[in-house]
Amino acid sequence: MTSAAVIHVVVSGLATGSIYALMAISLVIIYNATRTLNFAQGEMLMISTFVGWAVYQRLQLPLAVVMLVAIVAAALLAWAIERAIIRHAIAATHFDVLIITLGLSLMLRSAAGVAWTHDDFPFPSFFGDRPMAVGPVRLAPVSLGIIGASLALMAALWVLFTRTRLGRAMRAVAQNQRAARLMGISVERVYSASWVLAAVVGAIAGVLIAPVIFLSSKMGIVVINGFIAAVLGGFGSMPGAVVGGMLLGVIENLAPLYLPSSIKHSVPFILLIVILLIRPGGVVGRVARRKV
Amino acid sequence: MRRAALAIGALALLGWPWAAPSYFVFLASLIVVNAIVAIGLNLLSGYTNQLSFGHAGFLAVGAYTAAIVATRWPGAPVVAPLVAAALVTAAVGLALGIPCLRLEGLYLAMATLAFGFVVVEAILNLDWLTRGNDGLRVPAARLGPWALAGDRERYYLVLLVGAVMVWAAVNLTRTRTGRALLAIRESEIAAQASGVHLARYRTLAFVISALYTGVAGGLFAFVVGFLSPDAFDVFLSVDFVAMIIVGGLGSVPGSVVGAAVLTVLHDSLAGFQNYRPLIFGAILIASMLFMPGGIASAFRFLKGDRV
Repeated sequence: MTSAAVIHVVVSGLATGSIYALMAISLVIIYNATRTLNFAQGEMLMISTFVGWAVYQRLQLPLAVVMLVAIVAAALLAWAIERAIIRHAIAATHFDVLIITLGLSLMLRSAAGVAWTHDDFPFPSFFGDRPMAVGPVRLAPVSLGIIGASLALMAALWVLFTRTRLGRAMRAVAQNQRAARLMGISVERVYSASWVLAAVVGAIAGVLIAPVIFLSSKMGIVVINGFIAAVLGGFGSMPGAVVGGMLLGVIENLAPLYLPSSIKHSVPFILLIVILLIRPGGVVGRVARRKV
Repeated sequence: MRRAALAIGALALLGWPWAAPSYFVFLASLIVVNAIVAIGLNLLSGYTNQLSFGHAGFLAVGAYTAAIVATRWPGAPVVAPLVAAALVTAAVGLALGIPCLRLEGLYLAMATLAFGFVVVEAILNLDWLTRGNDGLRVPAARLGPWALAGDRERYYLVLLVGAVMVWAAVNLTRTRTGRALLAIRESEIAAQASGVHLARYRTLAFVISALYTGVAGGLFAFVVGFLSPDAFDVFLSVDFVAMIIVGGLGSVPGSVVGAAVLTVLHDSLAGFQNYRPLIFGAILIASMLFMPGGIASAFRFLKGDRV
C-alpha cells in the first residue's frame, strides 16, 4: 500500500467522518438540552433531504436553494415533533423518551417509503467528480468539499454557542436546568431551539452526504454511527463529537485495508463495545459522577 | 373464579389446534415463542431497567444452536437442542452481561444494539457452520420415535415449553431473587443499601433473560423450519421492545399479552408491508404517552387497585 493511497483513504475517511461528526453534534445538542437520545435524528435527516430532492425534481432550482428548502423542512419537522409529542413527555424518564423517538424513527422511515418508495436515488452534488491531483495524491473533490463545508458549519456552531444569547442559554440549560430557569432562561424555548438546531445540522449533513451514498429511506441508519462517534468523543461534548466522528470515519475506512474483509461491517460496533468497556467517558472525555 | 378462568384458558389453548386451520396453529406457536422472548426481555428491562435492543441477537444464537445440534445429532430428542440453545445463549448473555454492568440507560441500549448487528455479521461470516446467506434448513424436532413434523405437534411442543417458562417466570418474581430485581428497578441505591448485591443480580437478570430468549430461539427454529440471518435484524429487536412496552413493563402476564397483540398485528398487516412500521411506531408512541404501564396496568386499573 503506497502512502499516496493511504492518504486518499484517510481523506475520504475524514469526509465520512465529518458527516458522523455532524450527526453526533445533532445528537449531543438534543442530549444536552433534554438528557435524551433522539433515535429519530437519522430519519429526520433523511426526510429533510428527500423534501429538498423532491423540490429539486419538480422545479430544478439551484442546489443552494435546495439545501435551504431541506433546512427549512427540517426545522419545521423538528419544531412540530418537539411541540406535538416530545413536550408532552417532558416529565418522563429518558427511557420513555428513547422509546418515543424510536417509534418516531419507525414512522418517519415508513412514511418516506410510502411517499418516495424504498429505492435509491442519485442526488446532485455541489462538487465535481474529477479527481484533483495534489502532488502524487489524487483526492475526490466531494471529500474535500464535505470536509470544508462541515468545518465551516462547526465553526458557525462554535460562534453560536459561545457568542450569542441563545447559545449561552443552551449551554446554561445543559449545565444546570434549575439554575438556568432561575436566571430567567425559558427552558422550554431552549428545548424547541435544540430540536430545531439539531435538525438543521442534520439536514445540511444529509444534503452533503446524499450524493455519495445515494438518497434512500435507509440512510437514517447513519444515526448509529453518529451515536458511536459521540460516545467515542465522550457523550455530551461538542469538540468530542467532532474528534469522535473524524476518528470513526478514518478507522472505518482504514480497517478494511488491514483486517479481513469479513469483519469490515462490524468495525464500528466492535469499536463501540470496546470503547464503552474501557473508556466509557470517551477518548477525550471524563467519566461523569452520578449523584444520588 | 381464578381457577376456573385458568382451566378454561388451558382448555382453549389445548383445543386450539383442533378448532383452527393449520396456519392459525402456526401463528399461535409463533405467539408463544414471542411471549417467551418478551418475558425474558421483561425480566431484564422491566425488572432491572436495563433496556436491550439486541434480543434478536440472542434469539439468533438460540435458533442457530438448536438447528446445528439437531442437524449434527439427528436422533437426539428435542430436549437436547433446546437445552443446548438455552445454555449457549445464557453463556453469551453472561459474556455480554458482565461488561455491560458498567453501562446504563442509553449506553446499554446502544451496546446491545451493536451486539445485535455483530451477531448477524457473525452468522454471515461463519458460513461453514451457519451456511451464511443461503440459510439453514432445520430438521423436524424428534421425541423418541416420533418426528414432530406437523404444525399441531409443534404447537403442543411450544405450548408445553412455554407453559413451563411462564410458570417459572411467575414463580421467580415471587422469590427472593424476584424481589431483589424489583428493588433494583425502584431504586438501585436503595436496593444496594438493603443488601442487594447489585452487580450479581443485574448479571443474573442478563443471564436469565438470555436463557429465555435462547429457549425461544430453539423453538423458533423448529416452528419456522428455516433460518436466515436477515430474519434477526434490528427491527425484530424493536418488535420485542414494543411487545413489553405495549404489554406492560415488569409484568409477566403483560409480556404474554403484548406478544400476542403485536404478533397478531404483525401478521394481519402482512398485506400492508409499507404501513406496518408506521402503525407500530404510532402504537409505541401512543402507549408511552397515554398508557405508560401498558395493557397490564390498564387491567390493574379496571380491577380497581390503583398502582
